Amino acid sequence: MRATRKDFFREIKKSSGRFFSILFIVALGVAFFSGIRVSEPDMRITGDSYFDEANLMDVKAVSTLGITEDDVRAFEELELIEKAEGVYSADFLTETEDTQFALHVMSLSEGMNDIAVTEGRLPIKSGECLADDETNYQVGDKILLKPGGDTPVKDTLKEEELTVVGTGSTPCYISFNRGGTTIGTGSLEGFLVVPEDAFELEVYTECYMLVEGARELTAYTQEYEDLIDEAMEQVKELSGERGVLRRRELVDEATKELDKARMDLEEGREKANKELFDAAVEISDAENQLADAREQLRDGWSQISSAKATLASKQTELENAKAEYEAGLAKLNEGKAEYESGRQAFEEKKPEAELQIKTGEEGLVQLEAGIRQAQEGYEQIKAVFAMRDACEGQMREIENAYPESEYKNPLTAVGGQYAMLLEQAKQIREQITGQNLEAQWELLPAQIAGLKVQYDETAALVEEGKNGLAAAEEELEKAKAELAAGEEQLSAVPEQLVAGQRQINAGWAELSNQEAKLRSGESEVIENEAKIADAKEELEEGRTKAAEELAEGAQKIADAEAEIEDIPTATWYIYDRSTLPEYTGYGENADRMRAIGQVFPVLFFLVAALISLTSMTRMVEEQRVQIGTMKALGYSKGAIASKYLGYALIATIAGSILGVLVGEKILPYIIIYAYGIMYHHMSEILVPYVASYGVAASAAAVACTMAATLFSCYRELGSQAAVLMRPPAPKAGKRVLLERVPFIWKRLNFSWKSSVRNLMRYKKRFFMTIFGIGGCMALMIVGYGIKDSVYEIADTQYEKIQFYDGQILLQEDLTEDDRKELDSFLAGNRDLERHMDAYMKYIMLAKGKKERQTYITVLGDLDDVGAYVDFHDRKSGESYELDDEGAIISEKTAKLLNARTGDTIVVKNEEDEDREVLISHICENYMGHYLYMTSAYYETVFGEKPEYNCILFLADETYSLPQIEAAGERIVDRDEVLSVGYTHDIMEQLNNMLSSLNLVIIVLIISAGMLAFVVLYNLNTINITERQRELATLKVLGFYDPEVAVYVFRENILLTFIGAVVGVALGKVLHLFIIQTVEVDAAMFGRSIYLLSFIYSLLFTVGFSLLINGIMYFKLKKINMVESLKSVE
Amino acid sequence: MDNFVKLEDVTKIYRMGEVEIAAAAGINFEIKKGEFAVVVGPSGAGKTTVLNILGGMDTATDGIVEVDGEDIADYSARQLTAYRRDDIGFVFQFYNLIPNLTALENVELALQICKNPRDAEEVLEEVGLGGRLANFPAQLSGGEQQRVSIARALAKNPKLLLCDEPTGALDYNTGKAILKLLQDTCRNKGMTVILITHNLAIAPMADRVIQIKNGRVSKITVNEKPVPVETIEW
Repeated sequence: MRATRKDFFREIKKSSGRFFSILFIVALGVAFFSGIRVSEPDMRITGDSYFDEANLMDVKAVSTLGITEDDVRAFEELELIEKAEGVYSADFLTETEDTQFALHVMSLSEGMNDIAVTEGRLPIKSGECLADDETNYQVGDKILLKPGGDTPVKDTLKEEELTVVGTGSTPCYISFNRGGTTIGTGSLEGFLVVPEDAFELEVYTECYMLVEGARELTAYTQEYEDLIDEAMEQVKELSGERGVLRRRELVDEATKELDKARMDLEEGREKANKELFDAAVEISDAENQLADAREQLRDGWSQISSAKATLASKQTELENAKAEYEAGLAKLNEGKAEYESGRQAFEEKKPEAELQIKTGEEGLVQLEAGIRQAQEGYEQIKAVFAMRDACEGQMREIENAYPESEYKNPLTAVGGQYAMLLEQAKQIREQITGQNLEAQWELLPAQIAGLKVQYDETAALVEEGKNGLAAAEEELEKAKAELAAGEEQLSAVPEQLVAGQRQINAGWAELSNQEAKLRSGESEVIENEAKIADAKEELEEGRTKAAEELAEGAQKIADAEAEIEDIPTATWYIYDRSTLPEYTGYGENADRMRAIGQVFPVLFFLVAALISLTSMTRMVEEQRVQIGTMKALGYSKGAIASKYLGYALIATIAGSILGVLVGEKILPYIIIYAYGIMYHHMSEILVPYVASYGVAASAAAVACTMAATLFSCYRELGSQAAVLMRPPAPKAGKRVLLERVPFIWKRLNFSWKSSVRNLMRYKKRFFMTIFGIGGCMALMIVGYGIKDSVYEIADTQYEKIQFYDGQILLQEDLTEDDRKELDSFLAGNRDLERHMDAYMKYIMLAKGKKERQTYITVLGDLDDVGAYVDFHDRKSGESYELDDEGAIISEKTAKLLNARTGDTIVVKNEEDEDREVLISHICENYMGHYLYMTSAYYETVFGEKPEYNCILFLADETYSLPQIEAAGERIVDRDEVLSVGYTHDIMEQLNNMLSSLNLVIIVLIISAGMLAFVVLYNLNTINITERQRELATLKVLGFYDPEVAVYVFRENILLTFIGAVVGVALGKVLHLFIIQTVEVDAAMFGRSIYLLSFIYSLLFTVGFSLLINGIMYFKLKKINMVESLKSVE
Repeated sequence: MDNFVKLEDVTKIYRMGEVEIAAAAGINFEIKKGEFAVVVGPSGAGKTTVLNILGGMDTATDGIVEVDGEDIADYSARQLTAYRRDDIGFVFQFYNLIPNLTALENVELALQICKNPRDAEEVLEEVGLGGRLANFPAQLSGGEQQRVSIARALAKNPKLLLCDEPTGALDYNTGKAILKLLQDTCRNKGMTVILITHNLAIAPMADRVIQIKNGRVSKITVNEKPVPVETIEW
């Protein structure tokens, strides 16, 4: 390695303190420069990424007639609209123990304005809701909603009571402000999210849209705004058509409904008529029935009397039957006696008859046997004759069949048979002849016949006898049976008689029963008569009522018809994101950061650059001898200078890189984090590196230190080597101006004299220190000053300029009577100390090419204006009065329009021609833009009287804020009043908005303080090392440590105070510059810095100075006295 | 006459990490009041250590350092400062004047912290700078600056005048003049002067010559008859 290079690296190693001090101070400067500057784009990027992440809508459309699905679809079809989503929302009141506030209830929109759930979950069914993180609701709480007006909650929401199932945030509300409402105190306390079907509404209340390509652009940038404007133009165009369509739709729908209502009315009429008719019929039926009943009663009575007669006759019959029975009983006894005598006679004749029969029977048997004998003999004869005939037959057969020779030959078979047959025939003939059979055969039949006749005669006699006996017995049996039957018959009769008597008795009981029934029937009839009378009356009533109702219905229909006629064309309002509360505020905060970034870091950077410059210069000076030696050795100027340039370059570049890397991350992170206290849902802070800022800062840092080094080297290198190797001629002491004033000079002791001369001697250090301390002081003053200016405005605006506590906005189209009533109400209202009619309208003012939206404000009561608004010049304090010749304009407005007193400006009017207004005065004003004029001047300008649309009021002086709000609520309750706005709300909002700026300022103040510290430390160190020898000498001379310290510190303190004075002047100038750039168009910031801020800044600076002196004291103590003995290098 | 300054077994050991370096390894010498003593030795012998210890700028590691009967070896830092302030006049090799103050003011600077000072102008007259009172150091020559330095030391009315190579940065003649001034001061005012030098040639002008070598006194010579400066040449 070459010796020069070795020397270079050893130099860095040896003087690492200096190297790192340059490195760090450059890092600090670059970090601050690039960090603060990059905060502005980082804020936008952070915001944008949060908005994109949550799919925050780009455009919002609202229609006076609500938004239908068709509308949403139509929007979605627009070229520039990526997505459209209809949403329901409504504002309700709710009460806690001691207060009442308004909540914004909205439906969950899918894929847009995503809700971030902090705790619990999203609502999924009606009756559930997700509550705003900013409210005190916990999961599980129940919220009972109340209507803000007359319409019940149930008309809008299905459930009145909602259960909190989760808490979360929506990108629509990035901060604490929830916007305004027309109910309650006029401001919303929080939001609730419910599922879409929790709403009862037919049409959406608003439509959210995402613009095609807007996601890729960063919010709050011009490109984004331009794209949105284009998209809004498209939406606006379409919404015009949709407005007409919507009206038609509504009219159609209403007409349809009306037709249905008409039909219903007709139906109702018919139904009523029919019902009435039916009722009449029923009544007459009832009457008929009643008549029938009467008839029946009559019949009943006659039946009862006939029944009584019947029963009487039955009794008589029963008596007769008894008599008959008695007679029958007597006859029976007679019959019994007769039967007994007949029986006796039969028993006597019976044996004789039986004997006769027996003899007859015996004769019969004898006869029978004789007959049989005769018959048998006849049969035997007959059998003999048959045999003879059979033999003769067989013989003839053979004779006929065979030749005679054959049958007569006994040797043949036939001859044998024939011979036998001849034998048999011969025997038979012998028998016949022998017994005389022929004769017998002739006689026998007659014999048999005679026997038979005899038998039949005998048999008939026997039969006759038997029959006679049986008939007599039968007759007896018959008589006996008849008697038994008769007895039986009679025996049943007594029982029958008893039963009959019982029946008759029962008949009597039944009869009395029937009588009772009839009697109750009679009372029933009377009752029913009364009922019928009632029914008739009712019927009459029903008739009149039906007629009334029908008439009413008809009236309603007529009203509805008129209403349909009155349906207006839907008016659409198209908004961009600026309609969301605080959305614009975030962008303005980024703008403010830019303004701060334009001034603060530059100063900071300058101071840092200056310090590194001093260090480098000092280094070159210290190495004078070495430079001389190198030169003497023959090195070129470039080679010698390159060491120092390289040293500075490496330190600066390393510092720059470190600064950019750390600064571009940490500073924007801190700043955005600070803003995060207001916008705390933007949890993800994005701080990407932005090369341009880092490169710019680094380049500037490198340029500064390189130039300084080059300059120092150049100066030293210009000298001869010999000169360089000798110690530099000590700087000559010089007399200072102060010495010419012996009066003071003589009184100074040597230390003071030395200090004063020292200050003048080291001019470079003097100016460096003055600039360093002055710069830091200025930064702190600016920091505090911004805070003062910003804080001042709310107080000044509402305590010194606008005194009124609030304004009552009136409903549109109030009648004269309404106004009078309200006036008398307000006049008698004890809450209010005073009130005044006013006309306020947002109009566009223009002068030349400059335009500005401004509130034109006409105050009603000129004599009383002073109690509400104080018109005066900011600088001179001169008071102004409103007159009829011109208008008074607020200062910022005039400035933006570039208008001066006496100028004429123009009120732009879309419908009408432009009007000219003369500015008679410009008044101090911080918040908002106002153009005040008298009613007479208004008439001159616009040609018509202003219609007062609001009332300014001052509440009772003793009232506290809650009391004022309570008073306001009582006023809002009136129908004539649309809403009440309070100035303290605006103040609060303003203070909220600016509180985050406060944090940023604290960051700035701390940074400035740090810088002051580093600057002082560095300069003091240089001071002490430069004068080490001198200080060692003092020590050798016997100065105590504190005396030595005082010797040094005196200079420091002097320098600190001079620096502070410079800082005050510089700070004031810078403050004015920053305030004017930081300022947003909507407001004017204060121009003055409080004395206290100067004191604080001074105390900080002095404090730092003292602290560093304290540290230096120890450094001084360490100075070795032996140093004084060394030669001067 | 008593021993006004007395060093007994004075050692000074510097610790350099593990190594111990004895800058003074037991130095013994005595100087009487009103004597002009020269401490002489080669570079690194321990002269400066002796001077530092005597001047109260450093403390001995061990031994007794008696000045006017007080043992300053045990002094605290504050006592040492007071000792430097009131009892010691110091003349530096490089004058060490405050560049911002005039000759008169440089002297007065020392006087303002002193209990019993002399008049600054008078002292400057004595050293021969009566006409340059209002000049800044940068406007004075080296010899003149050294005279201011001596005046500054004398004006304090010290018990002991310590001179560290007062001629080291001066040319021969100017150096001689300064030595003469010192010698005269010693003779005329009875001031005890201790002069440290590596130049043995000026030894004859001293009442007592203390030679130091390797941290020890190698030789002490008492000149009964010191010669005036003018007669010495080197």
